[in-house]
Amino acid sequence: MSPPPDSPRTPKTQSMAMGNRLIDMKSLLKVGGNGSSPPGVPSGPAARISPERLREVSLAGLIVLSLVLFNLVVDNYISGRFFNRVTISVSIIALLAAGQSVVIVTRQIDLSVGSIVGVSAYVTGDMLTAHLGLSPVIAIAVAIAIGAGLGLFNGILVAYAGVPSIIVTLGTLALFRAVLVNIAGGTTLTTSALPDWVVNLPRNTVASVGDFDLRVMFVIALAAAIVLQVLMGRLRWGRRLYAIGSNPDAAASAGLPQARLTLSAFMVCGALAGLAGFMFLGQYGTVNVTAGYTLELAAIAAAVVGGVSIQGGSGTVIGAFLGAVLIQILDLSLVRVPQISEFWQDAILGGLILGAVVIDVIVNDRFRRRLRQRRRDYGIRYA
Amino acid sequence: MTGGQQSGNPNPVLEMSGVSKRFGATQALDGVSLTLHPGEVHALVGENGAGKSTLIKIMTGLYLSDTGTTSVEGTPAHISSPADAQRLGITAIYQEPLIFGDLTVAENIFMGHADRGRVVRWRDLYRDAAAVLAQLDIDIDPRSPASVLTVGEQQAVEIAKAMSQDVRILIMDEPTAALSAHEAQQLFHQVERLRDAGVAVLFISHRLDEVFAIADRISVFRDGRHISTRLVEQTSQDQVVQEMVGRELDDFYLHTQRQAGEVALDVSGLGREGVFDNVSFTVRRGEVVGFAGLVGAGRTDVALALFGIAPATSGTIAVDGNPVVIDSTRTALDLGITYLSEDRRHRGLSMPMSLTANVSLPTLRRYCRRFRMVNRSEEQATAEHYRNRLSIRTPGLSTPVGDLSGGNQQKTMLAKWLNATPYVVILDEPTRGIDVGAKAEVHRIVNELADDGLAVVLISSDLPEVLAISDRIIVMRDGSVTATFDGKTADQEQVMNAAIGRQA
Repeated sequence: MSPPPDSPRTPKTQSMAMGNRLIDMKSLLKVGGNGSSPPGVPSGPAARISPERLREVSLAGLIVLSLVLFNLVVDNYISGRFFNRVTISVSIIALLAAGQSVVIVTRQIDLSVGSIVGVSAYVTGDMLTAHLGLSPVIAIAVAIAIGAGLGLFNGILVAYAGVPSIIVTLGTLALFRAVLVNIAGGTTLTTSALPDWVVNLPRNTVASVGDFDLRVMFVIALAAAIVLQVLMGRLRWGRRLYAIGSNPDAAASAGLPQARLTLSAFMVCGALAGLAGFMFLGQYGTVNVTAGYTLELAAIAAAVVGGVSIQGGSGTVIGAFLGAVLIQILDLSLVRVPQISEFWQDAILGGLILGAVVIDVIVNDRFRRRLRQRRRDYGIRYA
Repeated sequence: MTGGQQSGNPNPVLEMSGVSKRFGATQALDGVSLTLHPGEVHALVGENGAGKSTLIKIMTGLYLSDTGTTSVEGTPAHISSPADAQRLGITAIYQEPLIFGDLTVAENIFMGHADRGRVVRWRDLYRDAAAVLAQLDIDIDPRSPASVLTVGEQQAVEIAKAMSQDVRILIMDEPTAALSAHEAQQLFHQVERLRDAGVAVLFISHRLDEVFAIADRISVFRDGRHISTRLVEQTSQDQVVQEMVGRELDDFYLHTQRQAGEVALDVSGLGREGVFDNVSFTVRRGEVVGFAGLVGAGRTDVALALFGIAPATSGTIAVDGNPVVIDSTRTALDLGITYLSEDRRHRGLSMPMSLTANVSLPTLRRYCRRFRMVNRSEEQATAEHYRNRLSIRTPGLSTPVGDLSGGNQQKTMLAKWLNATPYVVILDEPTRGIDVGAKAEVHRIVNELADDGLAVVLISSDLPEVLAISDRIIVMRDGSVTATFDGKTADQEQVMNAAIGRQA
């Protein structure tokens, strides 16, 4: 399992075999901190190690490790075909996980993204069937707008009505799906009715090395994650999202516009789910009322495995993206190991998610206890 | 800044007058006035419940006052949100700093006010933060996550934050309570620096030596009223203590003569690492032993140890002469020790549940019949009994206790633990936040419990209360017992001096 994410004080405790390897990798890659130290700024431990970067690198390490292990067990494991399957199938989940991480960072959750995917996929598909000549830009913009609109609905209820997000989105999970049932009325969109460019979307390739293709859908998901990561890390908006998730009381006393920030997080999450809905349309071609069913769970799982703390305030979009990749690789690889029954495949995935959360909670808890103990010590020494 | 710095009276930066605030039955503030001048350290002192925290919350926009006016630099100001307060240059620093643990020190300093522009320029952010910290002689890496700092360092970050946003009024609420002596010293340097820069510092502390060392003027609050404001040279610690406690005993405080029985609880050298140390006392049957002291003196921690919630790590406890080890709440209950929490909401009662359900909860086994089904009518008979005996006013036995008044909730809690047929009862702030009438009833009940032969431990920050109903008074400060008094002869000032650690 990956090393504890939130313990910048104790990099040495990450002495698991995995951890050591990662720290070496980290120094090779020269990551950590946020760019090089400007002159005059003292560099403490924090300047050298950023726990979030460490988490990302450790995830990348886990991905490499699992590829190596599966390659030992499965004949012809790493192939162009397998690479292409993984990158295509991960695109939708990765987009959703990226959006979900923005919401989770603010200490909220969005359970409705699967239904948003369904609505977006069906409505956009329906529109394309009716107007075959519609420009791709408009079609994608419509998909994103649908998602953002549904996200706005979630966000208003959470941020301004003050209803806990788990309740709001549990409600809209069903509500959006019901709206879709009404719109679709039992009909199914089929590949034959859609314009060719949509149907061919999954096979569109940006570049290839041998059998390994860099598919457009994967590039879109990766680009979205990178852009979002930069926005979260470098925009005032992004840093404020971290702030309201980290300590709502402090955010209130600092005068941050908490409601507006929360609303924006849900809109971003919805917009990405809308885009994911469009990709769903391209990937599956046939879309009915069950489109996107239970995808919200996969997205939350990916974000959590990717190190986004469910308690808010920490985690990165790239981490969530890598979490999605890891889960997808395991999902598609375990099937190919004949010794592992189907039951164990699910169990391993479940264990991975549990493990990630347990480590997160334990590390956080221990960290806080240590801090409190120190306070007590000082309190006594005063006398 | 206009007007002379130290000479006479520069124009006040803040004027509050006639400020009142009421919470339910409690008048937290009753027409208080306060004036702050630029470049002064103004101390605000008073007992717990004097209204200091409420005033701060009004100043920082967390509460709205019911009546009264506030003006900042001569202009009437309406502070209805923290953002308003921030705009007016009013900032508060608390005992527990409000810090974004996941963010860096630099972000903490600039969050919400000086995070200029839409794009975060990390380089500039760190450089500016380093400059602010250097200006204050604070040696903290602006890049480290705030969660790894000590409390003292986190406060320093909050001071840096205040400085970076052109603060005019800085409120410090018990800032030294969680600091080491060295850290406190550093904090005072910062306070002096701020004062010299023309900031008005409102300094709230229980430690009078500290207050007299740093303040220019001292205001005393008592029971939500403003009692006095004096230059530090024109008052003394004795006078301040007198004004803090200066209350006549109310009529309803009655000392009944009782015959104390054999020793029920004998505590010797009790300690819990880093919390309290070497606490020894005995409680006899039919005796009320009062624990006085400031909030955080360790009284509740001793109670939690006796009740097994946070067991002691050293010392011995004997119940009825038999040495015992109390390592869990279950053990304590089996020994007949019960504890009524000061925190009704979190530790005492289940607010959505009925009087009946709350009363029978710790003793549910008694009401279980076949197949572990609860015998409802027996349960209700018990509740009815206590409703009459303690005169709990409730619309019905099934009304959620959350709907009852504070005093009746307190009596419900008493009923709950009395029903466990205790031997030693620990009452932690039993009259906090309840009105005068209910208070008198609780006092009557406490007296009755002792008359019935129970050993009663009463923890209270209400000095007249402790003095009136305790047979003996134990004073704690910073985790140790500092004095013991006879309940009939002790006076308020003696007890207060022992609580704040001052030789009279």
